[in-house]
Amino acid sequence: MKQFALIVTLAAMAAALPLLIGESPYFTGIMISVLMMAALSSAWNLLGGYAGQYSFGHAAYFGAGAYTTMILITLFNLNPILCMAAGIVVACIIALITGSIVFRLRGHYFALASIAVAEIVRLSVLNFEFTGGAQGILLSDVSLWGLDLNSKNPFYYGMLLVLVVTLAITAHLRKSKTGFYLQAIREDQDAASSLGINLSFYKNKALLISAAVTSVLGSLYGVYIRFIDTSAVLDLRLSIEIILTAIIGGVGTLWGPVVGALLLVPLAEMLRSNFLGDALVKAGLVSETSGLGIFLKENLAHAHVLVYGIITVLCILYLPKGILGLFRRVK
Amino acid sequence: MIQHLLHISHVSKHFGGNVAVSDVSFSVDEKQIFGLIGPNGAGKTTLFNCITGFFPATYGDVIFDNKKINSLRPDEVCHLGMVRTWQRVKPLGSLTVLENVMVGAFSITNSIREAEAIAQENLQSVGLTEYANKSAGSLPIGLKKKLELARVLATHPKMLLLDEICGGLNHTETGSILDIIRSVRQKGATIVFIEHDMKAVTSICDRIVVLNSGEKLAEGTPEEITNNPDVIAAYLGGGHNA
Repeated sequence: MKQFALIVTLAAMAAALPLLIGESPYFTGIMISVLMMAALSSAWNLLGGYAGQYSFGHAAYFGAGAYTTMILITLFNLNPILCMAAGIVVACIIALITGSIVFRLRGHYFALASIAVAEIVRLSVLNFEFTGGAQGILLSDVSLWGLDLNSKNPFYYGMLLVLVVTLAITAHLRKSKTGFYLQAIREDQDAASSLGINLSFYKNKALLISAAVTSVLGSLYGVYIRFIDTSAVLDLRLSIEIILTAIIGGVGTLWGPVVGALLLVPLAEMLRSNFLGDALVKAGLVSETSGLGIFLKENLAHAHVLVYGIITVLCILYLPKGILGLFRRVK
Repeated sequence: MIQHLLHISHVSKHFGGNVAVSDVSFSVDEKQIFGLIGPNGAGKTTLFNCITGFFPATYGDVIFDNKKINSLRPDEVCHLGMVRTWQRVKPLGSLTVLENVMVGAFSITNSIREAEAIAQENLQSVGLTEYANKSAGSLPIGLKKKLELARVLATHPKMLLLDEICGGLNHTETGSILDIIRSVRQKGATIVFIEHDMKAVTSICDRIVVLNSGEKLAEGTPEEITNNPDVIAAYLGGGHNA
């Protein structure tokens, strides 16, 4: 109950944020990214953190939601909410096929197979015609319930809603039979199985919930950006960012993914916008026209993955339980 | 005809060309404490794995409670009322002791509150109540063995298969585990028991099967077994009773 109260309180604060800040598309945009990554990582965490099944292919479910929605809107001009539901169905079908085959195996096979499935989806989308191939899909016009979809606010609240629902599902699950079973599977599959846990059923259950949430986020993202291609929504990099966010924040904890996203997304944005380089120039430490200044400007923007990598290594070395692990008392 | 709770009929297990268990048959009656002994590599644990569904027997049948369970998964076998412990203990390390036992209890209830009550009850019966909120991974081996026992008891099994539950324990610890096993039987469960400690086996078992190199060497009461010349030669070594 304490966790639910915390979720509601923080959600209310987050909901009030745009009203306090006023109209700032740039800031809202970053916050949307934070919320989306927090929700993606929370959804991944259900499967990876609680059940211990590391999926390296969650982009497939994100892409399934995004592509299904965009295709249905462009072809039939369906209500985006219906398209989102269709996206969930597609993502769950992919998840069921993957899970029913791969969860029979133990150890790292699921991780490897999840990459393979995501790549199959990506390459198929890239080569089919109805998916727009390498050109992607551009959405010129979309409407829902008279909302102003040119503003970022509907998407801010949409992402917030999905995040809150995901956190509530997580908080509920971990205090339920399913949550106990998932953690038992993570700790020892043989012991879990001998105690009456149907391994593949519970792994599939976690995967399905995770894939469904991920696909909803993909749908939202597509309508928000109004353009998708495989490198935006089906890339292995996206899958890895989702995992890193959870690892750095704290795998298998309720708030870890949120903390990870709050840290990493703004950091990536700062690097992308050459924040560091600009700061050094402003401070007069580096001349804008000097070799170093140009180097920073040209290269630092692409460096956020490198920075993620460095932070991950440091986390694994010094904070194996993530940032939230710092605050967890050892029993 | 007497109904056996567990009937093993001509069970063999081959790993490639390796025969780990060869044509073993025996029956366990309700409320028995049944010993399964034999030197290292005799196939005892392999037989447990065949019975509980971790891998299927190559030949032969396993009948439990009048059901053929050869091709069932371990979780299905557990739901029929047969559950095992592990020679190398498998605590769910990052969960607490109480949560470990609750995982067992969830096989008979969906409610958190009930699972917790069942778990507390079973922790008490093995004497782990004071460790309930400790992390399971941090317990010493003697207590981990008791945790294994509490966890399987929480599934309310008809039959327990205990794989060297006293292995690595001292006399006091062994004694207290044997007491628990006796009281479990008192409550109506049947126990099959792999053990090396001959004193423990002969003091507690009603009936014993001896395996050697995957084959059944002898079967009988503890007295018959300790006096059987084949068993003495193969297992006890050189005719000295342990």
